[in-house]
Amino acid sequence: MTRWWLLAGLIVLAVLFALLLGVRTVTLLELWRAVTAPDPLDPSHVTVLWIRLPRLAAGLVAGAALGMAGTVMAALTRNPLADPGILGINAGAAFAVVLGALILGQADAGTVAALAFPGAGIAALAVFALGGGLRGDAGPVRLTLAGAALNALLLSLVSAIVLVRGETLDVLRFWIAGSLSVAAERPIGAMSLTAGLGALVALAAAPRLELLMLGGALSRGLGVRPGRVQALALAAVTLLTGAAVAIAGPIAFLGLMVPPLARRIAGNVLRLELVAAAGLGASILLLADTLGRLVLPPAEIRAGIMTALVGGPVFVVIARRLRPGATT
Amino acid sequence: MKGAIVLLAVLLVASAASILIGEVPLGLGDLWQGMIGGGGPGALTVRVIRAPRAAVALGAGAALGLSGAAFQTLLRNPLAAPDLLGFTSGAGLAILLSLTLGLTLPLPLVGAAGGLATAVLVAVLAHRQGRGLVPITVILVGIGTGFTISAFGTLLMTRLPGAEAAEAQRWLTGSLAARDWGQAMQVWCVGGALAALLALQGRALDLLSLGDDLAAGLGLRVGRARLGVAATGVGLAAAGVAVAGPVPFVALMAGPLGARLTGARGVRGRLMAAAGAGAAVTLLADLASRVALPGIQLPIGVFTGVLGAPYLLWRLSREMEKGEL
Repeated sequence: MTRWWLLAGLIVLAVLFALLLGVRTVTLLELWRAVTAPDPLDPSHVTVLWIRLPRLAAGLVAGAALGMAGTVMAALTRNPLADPGILGINAGAAFAVVLGALILGQADAGTVAALAFPGAGIAALAVFALGGGLRGDAGPVRLTLAGAALNALLLSLVSAIVLVRGETLDVLRFWIAGSLSVAAERPIGAMSLTAGLGALVALAAAPRLELLMLGGALSRGLGVRPGRVQALALAAVTLLTGAAVAIAGPIAFLGLMVPPLARRIAGNVLRLELVAAAGLGASILLLADTLGRLVLPPAEIRAGIMTALVGGPVFVVIARRLRPGATT
Repeated sequence: MKGAIVLLAVLLVASAASILIGEVPLGLGDLWQGMIGGGGPGALTVRVIRAPRAAVALGAGAALGLSGAAFQTLLRNPLAAPDLLGFTSGAGLAILLSLTLGLTLPLPLVGAAGGLATAVLVAVLAHRQGRGLVPITVILVGIGTGFTISAFGTLLMTRLPGAEAAEAQRWLTGSLAARDWGQAMQVWCVGGALAALLALQGRALDLLSLGDDLAAGLGLRVGRARLGVAATGVGLAAAGVAVAGPVPFVALMAGPLGARLTGARGVRGRLMAAAGAGAAVTLLADLASRVALPGIQLPIGVFTGVLGAPYLLWRLSREMEKGEL
């Protein structure tokens, strides 16, 4: 129980830091006034309400969604390296959105953003199948390499499209590594609803997913239909990842860092792990974003780079721990 | 033998095509005049723009291909290429760093230092007590190290002003735009010297490809031989990266592709085939990146990424069928 309280404290801290810290530091008192009696002429109030609040919402939703997606994917593939970013699912969503913008133009931003879902879905299915998941033996190496290949392919195509359209470097960076800095321009409302739906699907599928993790024969004996559970889990990953990418771009490594910590908090109950993963994902992404605003002012390091700086070493640590014989 | 002739023919045709085809199409006559006579409309295009670019592509591709084949032989795994292991990213980061800081050091040297540091880091991190280096762990650790290095590269770019950042982004994707004869000379000389060095270690590579125990039994000092081959391989990769940027997947594809094309069996034959295949892939990808979309030059790395990723997936499914992974 103490650990849940710690998580709650972490979330509160992350939210407060996200609202208060940055190029302009806002005091708690100013924050209170901005919320209770907003003054459109006070720069602190404007910063909080029009810049930091949308950014906070984007970070909360995208972080929670990516943390949950990573946890579902790790459970589904029984693989600690199953982050949607590493597996190319983020890149699939980003590619679909960028391609949609190329074909449809900027006419309808909502429709274009919704393309993240088919993109994420196809990529999730592809990497699962290519990694050997359909045969029930998606080893970490296989899955990671399939994901690396898919990532390289899709991100190459993303850069090609962005360069062809003559967009700025910032646009390219957003679609390659993700960021919360343009949060106000992204369709946060609709995507939050979809992410919520994905979370519900994940929570509903969790108990059966746990049984599936026991292995094929045993889980079938307990009445689980592997195909159906896998489909549900992939649907949840698609909804969660698609929503996160539509809001914040393809931010990687959250799904790698979050599940081991979530297990520490929640024990071995997947449903509780998912809840913890949502809180952890949201607070880690917010902290990464806030830190990125503080380290090199006035330049801003995008949240996706901050997560990669921490996530890369975490990946190496997990890869070292895998026992080659047992994992393939 | 037949295969080697095919590979040579491909290289010749690709070289000619990459000089003739482009924004200003040239005829064979223009090429001849530009090369020999020095006059005519094609001279500028041939001598200053396209020929050095093609020469850099050939040299860099060959160096990367050789490096890939050396590591694939060394670790006895077709996935163990310097690009997948993060070595080329390490070389690229070091070069980007020295350019950002405005240091005037020779780029291949800086790249080699970065590549070597990455290789040592990966080897140390992947080394497990009692088991030594397991190829699969090395590959995974290499991928993770590559992730971290790319993140640092992007971090570095945040500090650059807009135009320079765009240039750095192109460079980190791998690009052959606006190369000159100096760079061509550089990659050919450095790459040539290192290739000779690798050829001298042919017997050691031959023995290493039999496995460590057998190689040691046949009188090879395994540790030293491995170190020599790895250092040469990193040097070759750095020579390629210094002029073309960390072009992805060329090193991964070149070895198996060359062996398939030429049917070469011995280690030396396979190395030569890999150099040829790497050069051909780079040249053709560069040509494609120039002409695929009229008016726009994409960085070559975009194309080798699009070509190489399906290859990696195919390779993966092959390894899975064989039960190697």
